[in-house]
Amino acid sequence: MTPASAGDIELHDLRDQQFLDEVHSFQFWFDSVEGYLTDRPYGRDADVAVPVLEPELADRLVTTLCNYCLGETAALDGASSLVHDAPTRNAKIFLATQVADEARHLEVFRYRLGELGIADPEAEIERRGNQALVEFRGELLDMIAAGDWPAAVFAQNVVLETLEYTVFRFHADNADEVTRQMLRGVVADERRHSGFGENHLGRWLATEPSGRQRLQAVRQRLDPLVAAIFSGALDDIGFAPADRPPLARDYVEAIDRLGLTA
Amino acid sequence: MSELETMIVVDGAGDGPRQRYELEDVGFREVPKQWRKFYRHWRGPGDALAPNEVICPICKVVIRSTRELRPGDKVYCMPCMSRMVVVRGADGRLEADVIF
Repeated sequence: MTPASAGDIELHDLRDQQFLDEVHSFQFWFDSVEGYLTDRPYGRDADVAVPVLEPELADRLVTTLCNYCLGETAALDGASSLVHDAPTRNAKIFLATQVADEARHLEVFRYRLGELGIADPEAEIERRGNQALVEFRGELLDMIAAGDWPAAVFAQNVVLETLEYTVFRFHADNADEVTRQMLRGVVADERRHSGFGENHLGRWLATEPSGRQRLQAVRQRLDPLVAAIFSGALDDIGFAPADRPPLARDYVEAIDRLGLTA
Repeated sequence: MSELETMIVVDGAGDGPRQRYELEDVGFREVPKQWRKFYRHWRGPGDALAPNEVICPICKVVIRSTRELRPGDKVYCMPCMSRMVVVRGADGRLEADVIF
């Protein structure tokens, strides 16, 4: 690999392979997260005051964070398992960086649960977990166990990551300062994760057009779960149906770009 | 476009002179330092794209170039790892289509 060096060069003049090698690399990941995680313990400024929330708001946030932990655990299990099955070294390296990201997300969400007075996060996650998210995790792990790489990447990096990217972004705009800062850092990671999935599958579908039908079937199976997860997330955050933004738009756009609209 | 950024030269490539821009880091921290000047966050209603900018349709970050963009130009979105080509949209504005 020829390292891309910046200097005065135009980024967009890089060769395609040079760009792909760069953005899949561990070095790229390291230099990227340095920009928004250095000196930010548990994803927030060291000097930000932890707010005291109204009991009802705190309870909603606990439920939301429990479900975020559920989603991040699914992504952590998924990404770590997919490293083995990844068809290229670039994909393996990228997924290894995703494993680190997902572990960090899980850790910061659990830490925030502790700040909210949750002494036993595992029991709380079990008690408050959205059943649709539990089922989604089961579907994802089944695809991985079956060795169905494209379906698993679709479920994890397109569906789950786009869901998380959208919900976290929306929640960050409506959260207390600590939660907002924490979510903003997670959103920056999610851009890479969902982009990897869409681009990887887009390239695969360009050479395997028959794969489109397979992924459409996976999409149809997952769609009811996606709808239930979105709805549950908005309930947890506390938005009345009339005030809900079109959260599914990013998901629908990704599906359209991949040509998976049924 | 930052006030500190200046149009520095005009070249003759393409269908006519093309403006060139000297980019500065405007606080986009999600890619390595050397690449940060090529991106910025969309600032919402009231924001506008300069002739050297286009929005990534996947992650909605603003992609910037050292030259005025024209249909057919290739651009890269590092934050979401995507390759794109610049096209003219139905409303006449420049957009980016993802290349797989």
